[in-house]
Amino acid sequence: MRETEYAYSVARIRANETALLAPADIEQLVSAPDYGSAVRLLADKGWAVPENGESFDIAERELTKAWELIAESAPDASLLEALVVANDFFNLKAAIKCVFSDRDPAEYYVYPCITDTQLITQAVTDCDFSELPEYLASCAQTAYEAVSKLESGQLAESVLDRASLEARLAFAKKSESALMMRIAGLYAACANIKTALRCRTMGKSDDFALDAMCDCGMNNRELLQSADGGDKLAEYLSSTEYGFLAESIKKGFAEFEKQCDNAIVSWLESAKYETFGPDPIIAYYFAKQAETKNVRIILSAKASGIPAETILQRVRDIYV
Amino acid sequence: MDNLGIVFALIGAAAAAIFAGMGSAKGVGLVGQAGAGVVTEDPSKFGKVLILQILPGTQGLYGFLAAILVLLQVGIIGGSFEPISTATGLLYFGACLPIAVVGYFSGISQGKAAAAGVGIIAKKPDQSGKAITMAVMVETYAVLALLVSLLSIISVGKLGV
Repeated sequence: MRETEYAYSVARIRANETALLAPADIEQLVSAPDYGSAVRLLADKGWAVPENGESFDIAERELTKAWELIAESAPDASLLEALVVANDFFNLKAAIKCVFSDRDPAEYYVYPCITDTQLITQAVTDCDFSELPEYLASCAQTAYEAVSKLESGQLAESVLDRASLEARLAFAKKSESALMMRIAGLYAACANIKTALRCRTMGKSDDFALDAMCDCGMNNRELLQSADGGDKLAEYLSSTEYGFLAESIKKGFAEFEKQCDNAIVSWLESAKYETFGPDPIIAYYFAKQAETKNVRIILSAKASGIPAETILQRVRDIYV
Repeated sequence: MDNLGIVFALIGAAAAAIFAGMGSAKGVGLVGQAGAGVVTEDPSKFGKVLILQILPGTQGLYGFLAAILVLLQVGIIGGSFEPISTATGLLYFGACLPIAVVGYFSGISQGKAAAAGVGIIAKKPDQSGKAITMAVMVETYAVLALLVSLLSIISVGKLGV
């Protein structure tokens, strides 16, 4: 697709970028005296907040609005589905778990997503995955059988997580955006690193760990061996294109995840100066995702009465 | 073969109108798309966006002007038509090329610059003057090409080739 075909969409995105929360807004939210005050501040910024007994996830509603804007304005929204495809896998996972534990999956679904959640519920309830999109159907069958025949929820999760990362990489390739491919690659690498560490901590076999990892350009066997302990993992990461994560992995998962998010925000910087093409749209969605993640962190912290200094340690960099 | 001169002159006039017009149409269309995006979100910015959208339209006018001048010179407009030599026809054709070629490319480039300016209007409407100035800079080269074409067209008539 020609980059100039995104002119309309990019202009709409630029107009909407003015409504993104600025660092000063985040600081104001963090220093709000309580949960109610923080929600009122968001309402003043134009966010939809629950009123008159309503109940919904404020951050999820805002992110869904952002995806609807992209889907409505982009010349071909299917090229940008890498942004939300992971939610389809999360929903499938929720449906399988809920069907086997007699709970209503509707409470656990996340939005925005590509595949209709009712279709997912129906497919899992009927154990007929033929109506699901191809990228979901095959892993859905495997995950369902892992739970129904092997009674292994962990194996089902591992199958779905890997399929989710591979689907995101494939969708990113379809978008022909170097930015999207780079971000999808980082997500896959981070997931592999976390899988390697968790499998080592839990004493899982190499075969199980390697099965759970996706192909993201790193040598998974070397990664797994380096996760044995000490600074070996940091040393291994330094020798790959993800060397910028080496220091953070020494400080623990929270710092590592924050470093990943901050790296993505820094990559999005270049999209600020693009006039055409999908990158400004991708950057807007990730900016919105980072913003809603921050709002979620702040609101949860406010609800639990956590002090402002502790909240600030968890808040990510933002793209404005 | 006696009319080959007029054929070349007309091809030149047509090229000036067609290519400069195509450049403008592409440029104006591109800014229109970007402008529609901003106006969808904030209709109050229509005036500022419209100024940017008009800018790449001038190349089409320049091409039209050059074409009309050639038609006047050879007498197709004005009723004083007389056959011209093949050399004179080729000279008219050559005289039309600057605005035809530069008009096409500058129209598209100005459209891209103006569409980028629409982004400035979307985020910082008080800086719209800078967006217009940057898009206007592209116009310089279309004006230079127009001058060369006009002076050449006028001069060809006086050469008596």
